[in-house]
Amino acid sequence: MGEVHDRIVITNDTKFLGFVREFTSRMIRQSSLSREDENKIILAVDEAVANIIEHAYENQREGTIDVECQADAQKFVVTIRDSGQQFAPEGVEAPNIEGHVKAKKKKGLGIYLMRLIMDEVRYTFREGIQNELVLVKYIGGKPKTPQA
Amino acid sequence: MAEFHIQTKKLNNNIVFIAVQGFLDAHTFEEMEKTINDLFDGGTYRLVVDLSKLDYISSAGAGVFIGAIGTAQENDGNIVLMKPSPNVKEVFDLLGLSQIFPFANDVDGAAKLFA
Repeated sequence: MGEVHDRIVITNDTKFLGFVREFTSRMIRQSSLSREDENKIILAVDEAVANIIEHAYENQREGTIDVECQADAQKFVVTIRDSGQQFAPEGVEAPNIEGHVKAKKKKGLGIYLMRLIMDEVRYTFREGIQNELVLVKYIGGKPKTPQA
Repeated sequence: MAEFHIQTKKLNNNIVFIAVQGFLDAHTFEEMEKTINDLFDGGTYRLVVDLSKLDYISSAGAGVFIGAIGTAQENDGNIVLMKPSPNVKEVFDLLGLSQIFPFANDVDGAAKLFA
């Protein structure tokens, strides 16, 4: 890919979320992404990593989370890898926010935000090896699928 | 990195003003939750939350207010959000919360919403 490429590795502790946000911010600022998108993409990455910290490593087992950012003129790609247990965002339905308020439900909004903000959210799970979550934001809008 | 701070101040009419500063995320939301729960336990359900110095909020942070507004309203109170920064307001907008929470520009405006 090219122009922008870096990665960080954190342990699965929410105290490192600020570090992840700072890293993502730095990568966004080095890319061609609009500054208007910065807060939202930082949020999407924060939600993804927070979700892994909460769900992937059972019984507070220590693990690592690898966050890699790559960008070129067309897209900004964040790849997040962990070796915890499977948690597939595909199975999570979009929330009814009024229902959330009524039920006093505090959680379950992170994946919705991730999908809302990013153009693509892809998840690959290989048991016992690695989970990989890829978040893509196209610069200047999502390209149209070529017609056959 | 800015730390997370919460300051509370009692106002008239059983209203408590809560100033929140820094980053409200999956690491800090429990402190916010405890502050609100302690106020509820003490019988205070009218809360004005000043978000002007809050740099960032994630769904974990917003979830504290989502989980609490129902209890406040059931007890003749409410949670009025004051002056969110553009980044924080953007998250409330994305979640569709801007239609659910009352917003105010200052303490007087917030207090009128409890009248």
